[in-house]
Amino acid sequence: MNNMDFNKLQNEGVENVPMQERRDFLKMGLAITGIFAGGTLLSAVSTFNKANAAEFAKKYPYSPHYSMVMHQDRCIDCERCMEACVATNHVPNVHGAYRTTILEKETPDAVGGKREFIPVLCNQCNLPQCTRVCPTKATYKDKTNGIVMMDIKKCIGCLTCQEGCPYNARYFNEHKKAVDKCNFCIDTRISKGEKDTACAHACPAGVRIFGDLSKQDSDVFKTVHQIEKAVWVLRPEAGTRPNVFYTKG
Amino acid sequence: MMLRLITVIAALSALAAGLAFANAYPEAPIVYDKPVRGVIFSHKVHMEKGLSCEMCHNRLFEMKAKKSQDNKDFVMESLYQGKYCGACHNGTLAFASNTRCATCHIGVKGEERLKNGGKTEKKSH
Repeated sequence: MNNMDFNKLQNEGVENVPMQERRDFLKMGLAITGIFAGGTLLSAVSTFNKANAAEFAKKYPYSPHYSMVMHQDRCIDCERCMEACVATNHVPNVHGAYRTTILEKETPDAVGGKREFIPVLCNQCNLPQCTRVCPTKATYKDKTNGIVMMDIKKCIGCLTCQEGCPYNARYFNEHKKAVDKCNFCIDTRISKGEKDTACAHACPAGVRIFGDLSKQDSDVFKTVHQIEKAVWVLRPEAGTRPNVFYTKG
Repeated sequence: MMLRLITVIAALSALAAGLAFANAYPEAPIVYDKPVRGVIFSHKVHMEKGLSCEMCHNRLFEMKAKKSQDNKDFVMESLYQGKYCGACHNGTLAFASNTRCATCHIGVKGEERLKNGGKTEKKSH
């Protein structure tokens, strides 16, 4: 340790840091940004005011780089998105099976509105945990558009991907005998020439905006890159660089 | 003569009934399900703010619950133009219709919670 040159150390990545350890650090207001020297050294930064989307949106490695922006405060939990998704993607009507769902957050002490609905789906992360942990490569990033895909023939149903996903975006489909997840309707709509996903299409309140982040004239690009309104991602500390962004207004 | 008397009695009893129920209102909240599910209206909340029946009935809403949702124009755009809830919820008399969405839109989750007496049936794991 005495003669260690810190400048020459390589960041070995945060993917292998256990979730509990990350949480312990987060409770202290620190996000782990790297591990060095075989895990004997950790680097961390303050999480204060870190919910900035810009750092997640520096580069778009895919073309088209599909993305979704949620105008969270517009969501009224009418669940038309969920109905449309179920109908379009044949999601079975069983407990816990969904490709997209809506979370509810109540803040009884808030002034004015006290309830928020938060639509969630697969974040199609740039650095997904699920594809990393899959032992059979049944789940993978599509090389063209970056969508996290499922090859159900290869899936052995071990559910390791479910454990790895920080967004709870995967379920076991009894009919397919494989894990199923949101794929931005690539097979059911986008590849057939539709311009948006079933959920975005069904939303009566303009919550879900689907588009191509690699195009500067797209609504998603314009929303993610403006600075007037806050834009954030869910669970940034997971370090997976998600492609689903949230904003209000 | 007899017919006339009956008519008078009927009219009087109707009036009496009307008087007796002048300040009565449905206790349970009304939950609209069209054009979107899970939109709450609570008589209790509004009466506690000191509103009287005739401020809304029948000028804005008929007495029959959820009758308005059969109308094609029962949409947010109408509210912004001052129809239905928008007569008061305009940002002056009460919070504007295009703010605090989830206050009235309790959603499918809110609707199910009301049905189950306060408990949310957990759909996700």
